[in-house]
Amino acid sequence: MIGPLLLFALVALGLGALAGRRSPAVWVALTLAAGVALGAAGVAVGFGLQPDWDWRSGFPVGGQALHLRLDALSALFLILLAGVGLAGTAYSHTYLTLNDGIDPSAPARGRLWWNGLIFHLAVVLINSNGLHFLIGWELFTVCAYFLITLDRRRLAVRQAGWLYLAASHAGTIALFAFFTLLASATGSWDLGPLRERTDLAPLFWLALFGFGLKAGLFPLHVWLPSAHANAPSHVSALLSGVTLKLGIYGLLRFSGWLPVPASAGWVILGLGAVGALAGIVFALVQTDLKRLLAYCSVENIGVILIGLGGALVAAGEPAADWGRLALAGALLHVWTHGFAKALLFLGAGTVVHAAGTRDLGRMGGLWRALPFTAVAFLVGSASMSGLPPLAGLVGEWLVYLGLFDAVASHGPAGWAAGPAVIALALAGAVALATFTKANALVFLGAPRSSPSHALHEPDRWRSAPTFGLAGAVLLLGLAPAFVAPILARASEAWRPFDTGTAAVRVPLISLGRFQLILALVLVGVAFALWRRVHHLGVTRGPTWDCGYAQPSRRMQYTAGAMGGTVGGWFTWFLRPERSQRRPRGPLPDRAFILDRPRETVLEGVVTPVARQVLRVSTAVRRLQHGRLQSYILYIVIGLAALGLIVLVQGGRP
Amino acid sequence: MNASGLNLLIAVAMGLNLLALGSGRVSSLIRAVSFQGMALGAMPFLLSHEFSPWVTLVAVATIVGKGWVIPLLLGRAMRAANIERETDPLIGFVPSLLLGAGGTIAAVGLARILPLRPEHAGSLLVPGALASMLTGFILLIGRNKALSQVCGYLILENGIYLFGLLLIHTTPLLVEAGILLDVTVGVFVIGIIVDRIQRAFDTLDTRKLTVLRE
Amino acid sequence: MSLLWDLPLRLAFWLLLAPLVPGLINRIKAWVAGRRGPPLLQLYYDLARLWRKQVVMSSLASPGFILGPAVAWVAVVVAALLLPLGPAGTVLGFSGDALALVYLLALARFATAWAAMETGSAFEGMGVVREVSFAVLAEGSILSALLALGVQSHSLALNQMLAPTVGTGSALLAAGLFTVLLAENCRVPFDDPNTHLELTMIHEVMVLDHSGPPLAAILHGASVKLLLFSVLLVQAVLPVANLPAPAAAALLAGGVLGVVVGIGLVESLIARLAFRKVPLLLTTAFLLCLFALLVAWKGGAG
Repeated sequence: MIGPLLLFALVALGLGALAGRRSPAVWVALTLAAGVALGAAGVAVGFGLQPDWDWRSGFPVGGQALHLRLDALSALFLILLAGVGLAGTAYSHTYLTLNDGIDPSAPARGRLWWNGLIFHLAVVLINSNGLHFLIGWELFTVCAYFLITLDRRRLAVRQAGWLYLAASHAGTIALFAFFTLLASATGSWDLGPLRERTDLAPLFWLALFGFGLKAGLFPLHVWLPSAHANAPSHVSALLSGVTLKLGIYGLLRFSGWLPVPASAGWVILGLGAVGALAGIVFALVQTDLKRLLAYCSVENIGVILIGLGGALVAAGEPAADWGRLALAGALLHVWTHGFAKALLFLGAGTVVHAAGTRDLGRMGGLWRALPFTAVAFLVGSASMSGLPPLAGLVGEWLVYLGLFDAVASHGPAGWAAGPAVIALALAGAVALATFTKANALVFLGAPRSSPSHALHEPDRWRSAPTFGLAGAVLLLGLAPAFVAPILARASEAWRPFDTGTAAVRVPLISLGRFQLILALVLVGVAFALWRRVHHLGVTRGPTWDCGYAQPSRRMQYTAGAMGGTVGGWFTWFLRPERSQRRPRGPLPDRAFILDRPRETVLEGVVTPVARQVLRVSTAVRRLQHGRLQSYILYIVIGLAALGLIVLVQGGRP
Repeated sequence: MNASGLNLLIAVAMGLNLLALGSGRVSSLIRAVSFQGMALGAMPFLLSHEFSPWVTLVAVATIVGKGWVIPLLLGRAMRAANIERETDPLIGFVPSLLLGAGGTIAAVGLARILPLRPEHAGSLLVPGALASMLTGFILLIGRNKALSQVCGYLILENGIYLFGLLLIHTTPLLVEAGILLDVTVGVFVIGIIVDRIQRAFDTLDTRKLTVLRE
Repeated sequence: MSLLWDLPLRLAFWLLLAPLVPGLINRIKAWVAGRRGPPLLQLYYDLARLWRKQVVMSSLASPGFILGPAVAWVAVVVAALLLPLGPAGTVLGFSGDALALVYLLALARFATAWAAMETGSAFEGMGVVREVSFAVLAEGSILSALLALGVQSHSLALNQMLAPTVGTGSALLAAGLFTVLLAENCRVPFDDPNTHLELTMIHEVMVLDHSGPPLAAILHGASVKLLLFSVLLVQAVLPVANLPAPAAAALLAGGVLGVVVGIGLVESLIARLAFRKVPLLLTTAFLLCLFALLVAWKGGAG
């Protein structure tokens, strides 16, 4: 049952890629069908309707027999891929052909690489052979690169794509080392549970670098903001919603299958806590809508890592109940963040198309033109800020419960869990500030600049997926208990813990009940107040504003000002570029202050290091000048050095 | 020994450390130092088992010296130098407060690891001493006004005094008395210098004194 | 008592008693200043009047301008219902309701901020930024405090967490939570609930453009929030839940009254803080709660 479904999905994706150039209608039908099939396979295995699926081919592909497997952990990610993939496919059907000054060949290329990306993501998720995993990993990176650079005529897009490709390959090198060392240690490329081989534990650090880079783990996130901001929006949705999670998938898979060093959990917990806080503070000060969303992903990856780190710490302790909660929280957050972030990026795509800019400082008042998009974006934002009664709270909630238990149990893990709780709390509050800013600047108030063309809600192809995702976010928030089975099965597939369904089910049920009641009361009271107000009648007038006589739209709070207060506390860390002219004299003529957020880690750390490396390699390059005589001299020196080494070692090899 | 009373006093002293880090005015900084001095002076009473005139003498001297004389001198110097009441920090108040709090937590954690004698294991003496020294250093590094730095120096000395209390049973308080004398003289000298600097340069901002480096 | 009776009674308690608190504070302030002051029931009159008033709405505002206050009001009232009430215990409680409380307050903040930004006014934008920024520190403090209580009680359910053992930690917690109470309820020294015309205000500036029933919801919600924080503070610090019912009720009532008097005295005796000092004071509150957590942690381990 599972095998045919997956085969159908992969074939449909392949055929769709071929059809994409000629006939968009066939492409969209095939790709949607593939998405449904992927989702169905994921649901069947994830919720235990079908047993785990494991299949080996009799024939070799690239020298190795195929080994595919689908267990609940893979299924969890596969469902996310299917959901976001479906939404993105539908959205892109008309979005790709919008004439935003984009390359005319872009739609056709976009369909091809889109199918390629989904295909290879699915292949990685169901793969159980190191070599094929690596190949799939590399190919999906390449597909993502071509999708990011779809609008290749713009310099910023090409730069973002280049940075993405370069950074991804740094990660791939680590993964290459990881898989080859693993294969040489075990004698086979086959992947599977090997928890008893404790000598393999140090390999974890390689995996952490490689997968962490792909996940956008905080100091390694340098490629993420520009790539996600410059890609077309449905691509950003898939990249932020799903491909980042592939890094998480890798970390989960191999921290579960292979033994990990004792400090691994602590390191991941620490990186997660720092990343959550740093990511969201960076998000708050951004002035570009999509960059803000991208940095918010860095935060949420941090939250997921806090959960995973907690689970790893707990796995080394006798009483590991709190770790189950933390792990379940991390797994659920993969979903809630994936769906909500995809929703926000699709919404941002609509907004950016309507406003003709990504600059928050030039938007405003868009609720009038895009009321439904505004509601969907609000749902996504509220979920992302962890507000009840939506989905974002549920995952964070489980992580919180786990960490609280860890602190209350007075074990040494409390020293890690306590600070993580506080980091999570601070990050949550900053996230709220961030999304207040995003919503207010985009949708509320008066327009800050005149839009270039008439605004209107998008067509059905683009609004349906947005609302579908909003519905998913709402549903996950109101009925979280329904996902308890897949969380339990995925935790089981992760391995270090034995089964523990009840630990997750009970809090999910009580939280779900609470969220449901809250939602009903909210709707009821809001309706009652609405009725009351309209019964009494509404008078419209200009904003009162304490009686200020001449308000103008340029007096509204700007993107910089909305992030200014908290940003100011973190100036030492954010290091924004400030240009200002102070008011002077009794009647100052002109004054301004402008803080431009910088890519601090990239510009402050990576670029200088890269420059040093380049300088050294330029110096080394002087050795290569094309004179044959010198080359022969090098060979002689090399041979002499080799001989010397052999001599010193006394002839031993 | 009245352990819980002592711990309470040390906790108060640690709280005053944070108050000193967070206070924006020189006068409140001096007040924090003064209260801390009094709290420290009262500690020998709680530490010694029976009444001893020598301990009493030193304790009273400490209370009077640290809690009253030195702050008085500092206050007089402040008024004489006529400096602005707001200090202008090199390290902001919130960061120094967070640094101090982090340091205090770290000191509590560190004291658990240190190989202490069992009778000091539950006591806050060592964390208190470490935290006070750290606070002193933060004030010395992070403040520009000479008077704030003097206060930092005094808090640093209080930390050393707390360490000295660990040894109260083995060494006489004579050493501490010597230190106290030292500090008193030091503060006198600083008071005089401050006065002279103020007259000569019209400022007490140590940043501006760097022109004297040659 | 069955749920059917308990819930309406509780709701009535919160809804009807809450507007009394600002009245009490105003009486205390008037008494200290030697004035006669507004009537004790002034807020009730105000609410009744506003409920009958027509709404004037900015031409820029969307329906969110009216729905925002409704959401904020519900969030605060549900948060209040989660709190145990001394001897009566809790009715909606579940493990982790302490976190739900924090997130409900966040929801209220988001809704209020949303409604304020509807007007496109620079003034209200300023209030929103300040509110959401200072809330970062306030939320950190509240969670540290909850963590301290959780460590003491080994639980995450409010009715077990709010049965503290009195000690050094309680004093720190009391100081920290009281400061957060002042900040979150826009009281002196953070904000002044009586002015509407100064550049230093935080919360009050967000509701400038509201009128009619939505403003009534906002004012009533603010009073519920104030009572909520007072009840939370008293139960977090005093061992209310460990006493027999009549004594517990008396202690709770006395404690809340004490907090109210404390707020009144603070408002009368302390000037509002220079604006840039606000983060410093909130950081102090945060540290107090953090040290309470450390004390609880040390106490539990020993």
